[in-house]
Amino acid sequence: MAMTPRWQTMIRLLGVQAAWTYERMSGIGVGHAAAPLLRDLYRDATPEARRGAVARSAEYFNCHPYLAGVAVGAVVRAEQDRVPGPTITRLRTALSGPLGSLGDQLVWTGEVPALMGLTLAALPLAGWWAVLIAPVVHNLLRLRLTLWGLDLGLREGLAVGAALQRSWLPPAAVQLQQLAAFAVGLAIPVVLMWVLRDGPTRGVTVTVALSVIGALLMMAPATRTRVTGLRLGLGLLVLALLVIGGS
Amino acid sequence: MSLVLCRVDDRLVHGQVVIGWGRPLGATEVILVDDAVAESAWEQDLYRMATPAGLEVRFATTAAAVAELPAWQGGSDRTILLTGDLATMAALRDAHPGIVTRINLGGIHHRSGRDELLRYLYLDEAEVALVRRLAADGAEILAQDLPTTRAVGPDALL
Repeated sequence: MAMTPRWQTMIRLLGVQAAWTYERMSGIGVGHAAAPLLRDLYRDATPEARRGAVARSAEYFNCHPYLAGVAVGAVVRAEQDRVPGPTITRLRTALSGPLGSLGDQLVWTGEVPALMGLTLAALPLAGWWAVLIAPVVHNLLRLRLTLWGLDLGLREGLAVGAALQRSWLPPAAVQLQQLAAFAVGLAIPVVLMWVLRDGPTRGVTVTVALSVIGALLMMAPATRTRVTGLRLGLGLLVLALLVIGGS
Repeated sequence: MSLVLCRVDDRLVHGQVVIGWGRPLGATEVILVDDAVAESAWEQDLYRMATPAGLEVRFATTAAAVAELPAWQGGSDRTILLTGDLATMAALRDAHPGIVTRINLGGIHHRSGRDELLRYLYLDEAEVALVRRLAADGAEILAQDLPTTRAVGPDALL
């Protein structure tokens, strides 16, 4: 049985960053994902019209990868509605910021830390099963979000911005961030008790001390632009490995 | 307060602007100067969605921005002035060289005819000539996508 263009696009959206470059960022991945739907849409059109649509959809673009389906769907629907090419290019530009910002809030600062916090908090009860279950839950949510976004874009076209604003997504981003704060707050004492169950070791003491220093540097006005979460995290990882390796 | 950043970025309102620069600079508003967006309600809806609470985004045509720049400079907000292309920023600079003194090239991306100067900066010949002319006129031009990355001046850039 042949896969429908919608599902071909859905599968391709899972690898939307596979051809990420500084030159076009996710543009090539988005164009590749849109191609099955555009081929179907332009099957009776001239090759020039079809090529034009595919080329437009592969131009420079960047957004959160899990929400790229919203842009793909909206652009395909706009092509279907015969919206002029320059307006479609502006739609892609305008979608880039909100889809990046909403995706970051929903996933990177919402769902992921919430799931990590709940997983860590569940460790003493569920053991390593919690760690195995977490990526399964994350990827199921990601699949559902991607399909929802694609369908929303296909349904709304140029009106996708207003539809996004009315949707469950903006309030869910806020709620997930609140859940993340709760879950991480719950996880910290639970994990500390679990790690310190045999008393404090040198490695744990040094790691906690460095975390506190790093957190203070991230907040201090003189250093907060240079000490980012990523740099601090990588630095702590290296130091922790050195300390644990040397102890 | 005043303009805290004059930025050229063809992605317009997005995370690097509102979070990357907006937070360390304590910005309270972003004014996007773009003739097409100033007339487009659906685009404005989308850009408003990209801004966090506490940061207002406003839209202006180039003509309106030329008229309003002195008031923005003397206002109580900490404003990021944002354009999607170099020509619009040059028009604002030419109209008010005493206000638009420093121009941040934050993101001008790939397009046919443009050459790569930095990962986030691609310019065609006309844009290179415009950067040179602005620098010769006394504007301080720095390419820098985020406050945490290295700023590159025109001498090293071109």
